Amino acid sequence: MTGKGKSRWADSAEDAALEAQLKKEKEEKKRLKAEKARKAEAEKKKREAEAAAAAQRQQQQQQTGDDDDANGPPAKRRRLSPDRDVAAAPTASSNDSSKLLRFEGGRFGKCRSVENYDKLNDIEEGAYGWVARAREIETGKVVALKRLKIDPKDRSGLPVTGLREIQILKDCSHRNIVKLKEVVVGDDTSKIENIFIVLEFLEHDLKSILEDMPEPFLASEVKTLLLQLCSGIAYLHSHYILHRDLKTSNLLLNNRGQLKIADFGMARYVPDPPPPKLTQLVVTLWYRAPELLLGAARYGPEIDMWSVGCIFGELLTREPLLQGKNEVDELTKIFELCGLPTDESWPGFRRLPNARSLRLPSSSSSSSSSKPPSTGALIRAKFPLLTAAGVSLLASLLSLNPSRRPTASEMLEHEYFRQDPKPKQEAMFPTFPSKAGQEKRRRRETPNAPQRGQKVQDLGQVDFSSLGGIFGSGREREERGGGFSLRMV
Amino acid sequence: MSHMVNPLATPEQLYQRRSFGALPTELQDTIFFSTQCLTQAAGLLLQLPQSVTAQANVLLARYWLVEPMMSHEFSDISAASVYLIAKLSPYPRSPRDLALVYNYLLSPSSTFFHPSSAPASDDSQPPPPPPSPPTNIPNDYYLPEHVYNSFHTRLLRCESRILYALSFDTHVSLPHPLAITYLQALDFLNTSKSTISKRTLAYLNTALLSPQMLYLTSQPNALAVAAIYNAAKDVGAKMPECEWWEVFDVDREELGFLVVGMRSVDGWGRKMREDVERMKAGTESGSKRGGMITRRDIEGELRRRGISLGNGDDGGNTGVGSEEPVDMEAEMARRMDEKMAEIEGSAS
Repeated sequence: MTGKGKSRWADSAEDAALEAQLKKEKEEKKRLKAEKARKAEAEKKKREAEAAAAAQRQQQQQQTGDDDDANGPPAKRRRLSPDRDVAAAPTASSNDSSKLLRFEGGRFGKCRSVENYDKLNDIEEGAYGWVARAREIETGKVVALKRLKIDPKDRSGLPVTGLREIQILKDCSHRNIVKLKEVVVGDDTSKIENIFIVLEFLEHDLKSILEDMPEPFLASEVKTLLLQLCSGIAYLHSHYILHRDLKTSNLLLNNRGQLKIADFGMARYVPDPPPPKLTQLVVTLWYRAPELLLGAARYGPEIDMWSVGCIFGELLTREPLLQGKNEVDELTKIFELCGLPTDESWPGFRRLPNARSLRLPSSSSSSSSSKPPSTGALIRAKFPLLTAAGVSLLASLLSLNPSRRPTASEMLEHEYFRQDPKPKQEAMFPTFPSKAGQEKRRRRETPNAPQRGQKVQDLGQVDFSSLGGIFGSGREREERGGGFSLRMV
Repeated sequence: MSHMVNPLATPEQLYQRRSFGALPTELQDTIFFSTQCLTQAAGLLLQLPQSVTAQANVLLARYWLVEPMMSHEFSDISAASVYLIAKLSPYPRSPRDLALVYNYLLSPSSTFFHPSSAPASDDSQPPPPPPSPPTNIPNDYYLPEHVYNSFHTRLLRCESRILYALSFDTHVSLPHPLAITYLQALDFLNTSKSTISKRTLAYLNTALLSPQMLYLTSQPNALAVAAIYNAAKDVGAKMPECEWWEVFDVDREELGFLVVGMRSVDGWGRKMREDVERMKAGTESGSKRGGMITRRDIEGELRRRGISLGNGDDGGNTGVGSEEPVDMEAEMARRMDEKMAEIEGSAS
């Protein structure tokens, strides 16, 4: 594994040194692993012995349990099924002839107090609440505490977004999704005002790494990050969860190169097919899909895939891809990058509520001779260093027509990830100084996710006919199409 | 997988229920049953789908295994669980909707738990003085603003209390969709699809009311299989000869327990309705017979039985002590009356 990596990556002296260091670390790890394996072996034997004992005990219990049934008050006696399930889970096979699946759903009980944690330092005060690094006193484990923002004047009770976030994170279990450990409350339980979500702590978020790194990620690193992001999203979408606020500041990275999706404040369960009316005001503006900007109330997992496209672009350049100042500007930037939608490329887009106010060049005016450049061509111009497969992936993610975007699981199979350079192993990732661990972060100037209940902005009358002229005259080689203005009619 | 499983009650929680406060178990059962019925009635009036109301039922049952029943008014906890589940569902309801519905259900004009609305069970008791059928007096359920405000405040307090008690885990998996899937797998046992499906769902819905808390002791797959078994028996459908329940990962013992548990709810329910009526008749003045049971009714009942009950606000560590000095009891009754005054003032 190491040898393969060497040939591809050890191309500078610095890399070689790093490689050597990593190798040393790896050997150390290998040794530890071997030791661990030995221990695990021993433990496994022990467990097996225990399991056998448990099975015996359980059988006895069952017998005595039956006796109890005969003696005790029949209807009142509660079967101790959860208890038995725990014991039966590992030994179900040894039970009797038929193997029955045992479902373990956990249990329920009161929240613990936040006093079980020691605060270490603040990480962030964001639009959705305050986050701090803390240590669990009992175990010494470092976690992230996120405080649920509650407006005491809000007479609708606990915010539904916060409750959804908790429920969704509780339901999720995937290596690329941040793990929720528990929910704790302030010490005064007569009034539940201070609610903290205890999350696993990761050292970085992708946004601040991108801001501070002197060189962009290597192609192999971009692939690893994208693959992890994508497998997390594939998990979410296969569980009918839309994240609805994917952006680099919501992607966390630990020092072992592992990426995890965080901040489910906008997420929700969405059945397939999606219900007819979902809130349109989701996703931070720079990552918002065109159909949302055009006012679609019925949307699906494709909006997350658009955000993935924006993140892809950002990973390549370290700059957010589409930094619109407002909805109209965002849409302009999108059309600049991806070309204008046509009835062929996106049938039906004209029926979206806000599309009526767009003035697009009619298809007849852009004559067949000067066909507008495809999204792929425009993207190739913007990312000259990206391989053909990379361009095709990015272009498909940034398809204006949502149905043309690949699903997360389709994306995982994309040619781009199989081409050289291969995705870098997570363990080989460079490490970065952790801001969350040590110091306060500076406030960012990225726009925030939309607030619930905000008014959806009306685009008003927007004239894109000038854009058509620009694109129509074949400005493919230009990386940036500035120099035109947007007229509000 | 999380869509098919529920967190279950631990044996300790089930055991602890016996020691909560000084409430005798049959009173706890009565409270449980009538409050779950109230929740269902509210769900109907709020036009919520049964999938939402049933989740509220389960949430409420869980809550009462963690916190003592007497710490909040039963109807408030019921309203809060409906409010909370509806909020998280695609069918949110406003606090005012809930206030109106619960205010109506608790008013003398509603048919909820009024003797005349009870299913005929005439042979059991000497007939009580002929109950006047509830006449619709709009003034009974007029909702003044201050009453709404205090309901709203209590609703929010109960909501956060429920969330706190359940560690913010609001996940409830219902057996209903599973049951239909299983029926499809069984080819509806070669009977009328709608008949056996309806019967199955009826068993599942009835099981929500069972003080045995079947939804907290069994996973959805077991509930679904037991309901199908009962329904098949009722409609006389022929079940497979083999131990078909094992295909759905239910063992014979659990199935047997659930089958009996589900079948007993009906008779149990009738008895409990009578208990409620008797209790109401004992405490209320003649004009307001029947209706939803309240904490005050329970306190009155306890007094009659000579059992003293602590404040019930916290811990529930008061023991059974019938030898309390009389003035203590009077003092307590006075305090309760004061506390009830605000609620009472609103109800009429």
